[in-house]
Amino acid sequence: MKNFIFYFLIASLVFGETKKWDAHSAYLLPKKRWEIGLFQPFRYGYSESIEYSVHPLWFFIMPNFILKRSQNDIAGFSSAGQYKIIYPTPFLNMIAKAGIMGIIAPDFQMPPMLGIAASWLMSKNMAGMDITLNSGLDLGVAFGDLDSRSTIDLPLVYHRLGVYYNTWGMHMGVDVQKNISEKIGVLADIDLKALPGLKGNYSLEHKLLLSWYKSENFRVLTGYKFVIGEYPYGPDMRLLPYIPMLETWVPMIEFQWARKKQ
Amino acid sequence: MKKLLNILGMLLFFGCEPFVTEFKDSSDVVMYEASTKSNATYDNGNIKVVTWNIRFGIARFPFFGDSCGNDVILDDDTIEKNMAAIADSLDAIDADIVLLQEMDVSSKRTGYMDQVQYLLDHTNLNYGCYASMWKSDFIPSDGIGRINAGNAILSKYELTDVERIQLRLRTDQDVLTQYFYLRRNIVKSKIPALTQGAKDFYAVDIHATAFATDDTKQQHIDKYVETLGEIHSSGDYFVTGGDLNSVPPGSVTDFCLNDMCDGDDYHTNQAEEFHKEGSYFENFDGEPDILLPLYEAYDSAIDSDDANLPIHLTHGPSTSYKMNEIKYDRKLDYLFTNGIWENTSSKTHQAAWELSDHLPVSAVLNVVGE
Repeated sequence: MKNFIFYFLIASLVFGETKKWDAHSAYLLPKKRWEIGLFQPFRYGYSESIEYSVHPLWFFIMPNFILKRSQNDIAGFSSAGQYKIIYPTPFLNMIAKAGIMGIIAPDFQMPPMLGIAASWLMSKNMAGMDITLNSGLDLGVAFGDLDSRSTIDLPLVYHRLGVYYNTWGMHMGVDVQKNISEKIGVLADIDLKALPGLKGNYSLEHKLLLSWYKSENFRVLTGYKFVIGEYPYGPDMRLLPYIPMLETWVPMIEFQWARKKQ
Repeated sequence: MKKLLNILGMLLFFGCEPFVTEFKDSSDVVMYEASTKSNATYDNGNIKVVTWNIRFGIARFPFFGDSCGNDVILDDDTIEKNMAAIADSLDAIDADIVLLQEMDVSSKRTGYMDQVQYLLDHTNLNYGCYASMWKSDFIPSDGIGRINAGNAILSKYELTDVERIQLRLRTDQDVLTQYFYLRRNIVKSKIPALTQGAKDFYAVDIHATAFATDDTKQQHIDKYVETLGEIHSSGDYFVTGGDLNSVPPGSVTDFCLNDMCDGDDYHTNQAEEFHKEGSYFENFDGEPDILLPLYEAYDSAIDSDDANLPIHLTHGPSTSYKMNEIKYDRKLDYLFTNGIWENTSSKTHQAAWELSDHLPVSAVLNVVGE
């Protein structure tokens, strides 16, 4: 069961940032509408100006909460501020163990840590495409000794947890979304994560997703994510999802549901 | 659309390196050179050789995998200090050819230090080759993480015609364990500067299985004997050695109680395993005499009659010196040649016991003694 949870959580890193239904744009969900995916967080339109999201499965082992608040338009761009707080310690201590699925060496006890991120999102429709620019600051606070040898040196994971070792980081990115028919949409994005001063100080993530909208309340996505970056051992790149024992990339498949609360 | 397919093709090519590297029966190795080479010209004199399993520079650190320890990742400063001490020992031995096992070149557990390059840059050795036996982007067990460990040959003289020879995988493991497990090998190199008349000169390095309970060890030794036989039958010279993880004929074969950790139970009906993996040397018929073909066919640096003497023991579990005051209690490391070793020059360097759980063995090849 623990193994299943781990694989699910790692896989959700791949899917978690999908932007369909404008998850990562400056646009908010309509009031009382919720959306959830196999790997995507639960999002809820709390009011016309506030949207919040949590990852239900992560929540019990890695408490997390994201709040998005709409802001005044700037130069014709819809704008929003997004604020994220996350407490990864319980999950990290679950996987700091001896034996199979010991992802962190049992030598290390992870201290209480808090991750805080603030992002600014700006979206605009240009030439038939929804374009979103985002940038922000990440802070990682460790309330105790965090051993630099306890990093998880894997694509997607290293640079997300790197902020706790570096205490701060920056992120920025661009998303482009276009509906090519009533039922089919395409999303492409590029995101840069920078951790100045850390050994392995950047990663660039690119995603391409094809969406099929069955209805207003259900869609299926497929595509890939490509990660290139610097790690403690040097530069590396990986096309995801990747199945180790088959030594092959497979297309990601995500199902997402939505409803409006009556 | 064509552009998109081209981009996807490039991503597939560059982004899909194997997660775990598997090897063909015969494959190339990674070549190295010292950043600054020392002057070394072969003067037709004798050739000194040493073999040493350096335990990836963690000395007697209580590593979880091969001792009674619980630790996995040593700090960078201590690794650097250990590697400096190993480099000093190699310089003191002053061998022409160094056969090394358990070298890390990019492993989480040793701070991603390239230990082959380090030793070339901190000794009087100039050339090296490296063959990985364990290469994975991530081992999801015990916090091992990324690993690249293997065998290396270092030399004062240039190495050519280098080959990695795959040894059979263990068959006593489930598929998932085997996928993430070691792929042991023999690494073979020609050393043109040491050519003796019409005879080419080869160095051959091996690290045979330690923990298999099936006949994998027999398969490894058979492949080793076959490899050496091919060189010998071609009329060429070789010096060879390594960690054979086998005891000499006539040795004690059961070290389970020596290696027993707190809470372990062996040799009882209640024991989960009757014998401890890696500590018992009679897993199959003939294992106690598994090295006889080597002793019979070639010259051993330490004669078989002397191999079990205390002064020639080469291995002790890393923490046993703390538990049972055992620094070394068995011989697992060997040197052989199809030439002749200088009678009195072979030595087991037991003073280096603190630098690894294996001890270096050196010998001098008598080039004119044939």
